[in-house]
Amino acid sequence: MPDVFPGGSLGKGRKTKQLRTRKGEGGYVRRYIGVLALVAALGLVAAACGGDNGGTTGGSGSTASGASGELQPGGTVELAMLGDVSAAFDPQKEYYSVTWEWYRCCLLRTLLSYVGRTTAEGGADLNPDIATDLPEVSSDGLTYTFTLKSGVNYGDPFGDVQVTSGDIVRALEREADPDASVGGYNFYYNIIDGFSDFGDGKADSIKGLETPDDSTLVVHLSEPAGYLPYLFAMAATAPIPPNGDAPLGAAEGHTKDYGRFLVATGPYQFAGSENLDFSVPADEQTPVAGYEPGRSVQLVRNPNYDPSTDGLRPAYPDGFNITIGGDNNDLYNKVQAGELDGVVDGIVPPPVLRQYSTDPTLQPLLHINPSDAVRYISFNMAQPPFDDIHVRKAWNLALDKAGMRTLRGGESVGEIAGHIMVNSLENNLLADYDPYPTPNSAGDINAAKEEMKQSKYDTDGDGVCDDPSCQDMLAVTDEADPYPDQAALIQQNMEPLGITLDVKSFERTTMYNKCNEPPAHVAVCLGPAWGKDFPDGYTFADPLFGSAAIFPSCCNYGLVGASSDLLSKAGYDVTDVPSADDQIKSANQQTGDARFQAWADLDTNLMEQVVPWVPYLFDNNVDITSTRIINYSFDQFAGLAAYDQYAIAPDAQS
Amino acid sequence: MARAHTEHALSEPGTEAPPEPEDISVEVSHQVVGRSPWELFWRRFRRDRFAVGGAFVVIFMFLIAILAPVIAGFTHGPNEVFLDRLDSFGIPTGPQSGFPFGVDTAGRDLFIRVIYGARTSLFIAFFATGIATVIGVTLGMLAGFFRGKTDTVISRTIDVVLSLPVLLLALGLVSACGLEKNGCLGGIIKPGLLLISYVIGLFSWPYIARIVRGQVLSLREKEFIESARSLGSTNRRIMFREVLPNVAAPIIVYTTLIIPNNILFEAALSFLGVGVPPTTPSWGKELSDAGTIFTVAWWMMLFPGLFLFFTTLAFNLVGDGLRDALDPRTGG
Repeated sequence: MPDVFPGGSLGKGRKTKQLRTRKGEGGYVRRYIGVLALVAALGLVAAACGGDNGGTTGGSGSTASGASGELQPGGTVELAMLGDVSAAFDPQKEYYSVTWEWYRCCLLRTLLSYVGRTTAEGGADLNPDIATDLPEVSSDGLTYTFTLKSGVNYGDPFGDVQVTSGDIVRALEREADPDASVGGYNFYYNIIDGFSDFGDGKADSIKGLETPDDSTLVVHLSEPAGYLPYLFAMAATAPIPPNGDAPLGAAEGHTKDYGRFLVATGPYQFAGSENLDFSVPADEQTPVAGYEPGRSVQLVRNPNYDPSTDGLRPAYPDGFNITIGGDNNDLYNKVQAGELDGVVDGIVPPPVLRQYSTDPTLQPLLHINPSDAVRYISFNMAQPPFDDIHVRKAWNLALDKAGMRTLRGGESVGEIAGHIMVNSLENNLLADYDPYPTPNSAGDINAAKEEMKQSKYDTDGDGVCDDPSCQDMLAVTDEADPYPDQAALIQQNMEPLGITLDVKSFERTTMYNKCNEPPAHVAVCLGPAWGKDFPDGYTFADPLFGSAAIFPSCCNYGLVGASSDLLSKAGYDVTDVPSADDQIKSANQQTGDARFQAWADLDTNLMEQVVPWVPYLFDNNVDITSTRIINYSFDQFAGLAAYDQYAIAPDAQS
Repeated sequence: MARAHTEHALSEPGTEAPPEPEDISVEVSHQVVGRSPWELFWRRFRRDRFAVGGAFVVIFMFLIAILAPVIAGFTHGPNEVFLDRLDSFGIPTGPQSGFPFGVDTAGRDLFIRVIYGARTSLFIAFFATGIATVIGVTLGMLAGFFRGKTDTVISRTIDVVLSLPVLLLALGLVSACGLEKNGCLGGIIKPGLLLISYVIGLFSWPYIARIVRGQVLSLREKEFIESARSLGSTNRRIMFREVLPNVAAPIIVYTTLIIPNNILFEAALSFLGVGVPPTTPSWGKELSDAGTIFTVAWWMMLFPGLFLFFTTLAFNLVGDGLRDALDPRTGG
């Protein structure tokens, strides 16, 4: 998710799916790639020496337009990524929105996929891709049947091989293997009958997957799960071509590095894919030339791709050159100077954002879209004084949410959040809902004090906490800007309630680990954010508020639904915290509009009865492009630009 | 860091330059007055205008550091956030009425942040230098006095510490010990200002130790030590009563010269993001915060930078002046 206000520690404010992966037998783990502070600082110096090239782009902004009438294919898009992808393009391991976009737009087709547009333009809807249609669902919701198109071929070197249903099963078998999918999201697939048994080595095949013929895939679930179709739009289910009789086909022997031997199905492939040789043993194969980890990615057109089988990807550019590394400010200077067409995972620096927002000639090059992520403050409900719901409510009333947004870069970085789940996942049912409204969203200290008066930690009823637990409570945040600035504001907001914070700041991954470990006794976590994995409320429910997502799993920092046993083991005196497990479970059995309503009800209940968070911002993705790019589309699925829909102006294609 | 000191250290022992004659010649022409060493020092120091200027700056910095809470009483608190001083893009505004230095990215008064930054810098500089001096003097004295194996062990340790990549190691130490609330080494080292001080002190003692060792090596051969020894003085007594007062001058000089290095070290650590806790004002951190935004907020880089520059310069000038005044043999 974008951090819009960069600072001392660039490179850490990466746009990512800040989500979780299951480690070993079940730990969700953050997948941030930390970058040494030193590197960032050196980068700063470099940026300082690089000077300011602003102004060179003025006047040429008129070529940018959203018009799609005269878009011509051709040209190579020049991009930069601050950091490499998280698992070297291995589709079973990659749990990172940037890689997901490269898969969706360019490299890998899946049974179902998205059109690379915003929610309003249908970008959150599933469309058939390799499949001929959306799956047929049995009346009990336990069986899904997919039919595959014919004529979908692989990229080099398997250009004459057609995708079959068995290739999808092969990908799922690889996903079930904990070694091959380490850091991935295989926990979502456990609802497929026999999936975990296969992964544990208890079965020779996944019982719930049937392939009656090459163009049919039947999926049996062990319990109804309305989100199943979304799972077949994720790259972990992208087909892997057969290779002799090797069980894992082309991925055989590449448990750790299949990404560098990736066989494409999309409109693009890595440069040099034609030189891949899968006939020799895996350890003698040479990885593809078009991806040098940590340095560069080069995508070229896939000569075996048949656009007539694909209604989702216009694929205007002839290819992409992506450099990896650099300094955030410096890269955006290059975009302004026209040396780059965009930065994939960067954070538009505030001065640049201001310039592009206020200069009418530059405005068409600025693209702001909701990224379906929420930023929040998370309470540890087992740590006094946060075991008292009135203290948690008082925080919700006292926080200056508008100020929190200003410190991130102002109105363009997002919408003030009044609840937990992003509106698109609830079909806007709660769009105007905020149980703790304050004037201008700037906090209301009097209302907060009224709430605090009801707390057992305010014994004299003056609206000020007088318990020692309110003093110097351990608060953890991200060390990158603007989190320390936000921490200062939070401290100022809470002080009138008698609450003082001992703020510790860490590199982002460490921060998430601290917040997640109950024995660390972090009272309040100031810096987390959460984005969806796929457009369904489930990805905002179970991983955040399910008791199964408590350490060593991830991301239920507030310990919602923790058992008294767990609490005492972690050294807490509090024995009882609210739970949301039952409600999450029943919501997940709903479909259609009832499903939206169920998520909205869960959200309301969490906001009013549980109160584990102060949500304060629904994040936007902020992006700028060079003047060469005359067509921009936002992919709601990955929360990034849809790169296949970048179109280069005809006169700039050479 | 402190390469210059090392060179001085090497040239120091044994250079028995003849005493400067000028002081004496000046005095014989007038009435002969008996002057204490303190008076002699003060007369020499006073004549060095740069050193005196530096001393004034140092005193000024001390005053604002001590009076910071008082000044804050008239202006703003160091962590008071003024969101109305940020524009709608969260970009801070510059010097203005009530905010002479402008505000930082969190909307805090940069003036009071810089004043409080003097506290952080001076505290760390003095605490860390104190640690370095205690370790350095003790080990240097032992090495120079006992020579032999003791000297070998201590001198090689000095070589090892001097050859460590200081900044990288400090980064690692500070990160490792800053992770847990209880710090590391069983709670001896806790995160925060003290941790930074320990780490800086840990890396700057060898300079002092080398100088003290060299001085002690030559002193221990002097007649007055011989006579003390023949009168039956214990080693401890000789070290504390005879040797230590005679190395006091170089210790004072080089301690003063290490201070600016330590100020810069703290600034570097804070710049790299492992320094002081997030809400504690520090010049290095203000500079680091300015890094991405100085093109539109020059004040964030200018003011902390100026204070850092003048403090460092002042300590260096005072140090040089002290050296010239206390130890005229080195000339200059």
